[in-house]
Amino acid sequence: MSSAEMIIPLLMGFAPTVGFCLLFHVPFRHIIPVALVGGSGWALYTFCISQDTGKVIGCFLAACLVGLLGDICSRTLKEASTIFTIPGIMPLVPGSGMYYTMLALINGDYTSAAAQGSETLFMAGAIALALLVIGSIIKIIISLKRKMYSV
Amino acid sequence: MISQVQKRALILAVRAGELMMKNGAEVYRVEDTITRICKACHIPYVEVFATTTGVFVTIGSGGENGDIYTYIKSLDGGGTDLKKISDLNRFSREFTDTDLSVEDGMKRLTEIDNGKGYPLPARLLGAGLVASFFCSIFSGTIHDALCAFVIGMVSYAAAAFLDRYDINYFIHGFSCCGLATFLALLTDATGISGYYSPIVIGALMIFVPGVAITNSIRDFLSGDMLSGVSRLAEATVIAVSLAAGAGLVISLWKVIGGGIL
Repeated sequence: MSSAEMIIPLLMGFAPTVGFCLLFHVPFRHIIPVALVGGSGWALYTFCISQDTGKVIGCFLAACLVGLLGDICSRTLKEASTIFTIPGIMPLVPGSGMYYTMLALINGDYTSAAAQGSETLFMAGAIALALLVIGSIIKIIISLKRKMYSV
Repeated sequence: MISQVQKRALILAVRAGELMMKNGAEVYRVEDTITRICKACHIPYVEVFATTTGVFVTIGSGGENGDIYTYIKSLDGGGTDLKKISDLNRFSREFTDTDLSVEDGMKRLTEIDNGKGYPLPARLLGAGLVASFFCSIFSGTIHDALCAFVIGMVSYAAAAFLDRYDINYFIHGFSCCGLATFLALLTDATGISGYYSPIVIGALMIFVPGVAITNSIRDFLSGDMLSGVSRLAEATVIAVSLAAGAGLVISLWKVIGGGIL
């Protein structure tokens, strides 16, 4: 994989995340870290797609990365982690799946609508599950850390 | 006994919680902030129950003949303003760590509430960026991306216009997405853009309910089932409204509009 192939998806994720930052009023000093979180999530997603993992697994892994980086950023910059995860997760939300499902329904193609629709649902579920998993792991790590310091 | 200062602290705490909830914070953060502010004012007993539609706080002085006060605040929906969440987060930390008085705290909250985020032109630019880049991700050409940039800005401007009139949020998503789809079909028919699908997807991404999805998961994670379910329902309804808006316009276009141009 050449470096250009790595950089382009990062940029493709970076720019829309900046857009979402503006839409959600992310404080100006945090725009760059937030956009980097979103960009790296999107880059991992496109990498997974290129390795034929399927959209759902790609979404899951990318959302895991966003959740993890968001938590690291929120701890180092002392901010609420929502500020990093909400715009970071936005590029992964399956808007295109929603659209293609609707298009298939209009055309009366119910087989493809069911396929597209279930994939869209699974993608949304994968994002949710990823955030849940990362959140729980971080909770466990923090409580373990506390125990170790207190002993 | 609950002193006068503690009563005012209760009002301050509920106000802070209300602002957080309205601007898109998770339930546990709201409950945590309210409890922290009350504890900082030496209130012995605090119980908070927060959902997306209301905040209920009870404070008590403890003991056999102690006082109990309850404050119920009903909430209606708001937008997502992460700057205010960040400010409120810092405020609650400051309030508990320093001896900021309740009156000064109230003033700070009003300042935060009145604080302006990015002006409309900046948000329009953001909407344009989102739409154009998603258009090119879904195999749109440069021409399509430029069209998506403009259409995204126009549909976001329409959304901002509708926000002023407290329009029902289903109609909000429905009409904004419908407008974007109509404009995309128009550019397709007049030959300005190559194909309308990528443009519609780009515009759709602006309104996608990512915030509701993320927050509902966080609420589930921290055990706030009620808010989790209600936010999940909100996300589903918004997604359906967007698809319905785009779908209706495309089918109408196929039936009547397509032949005219």
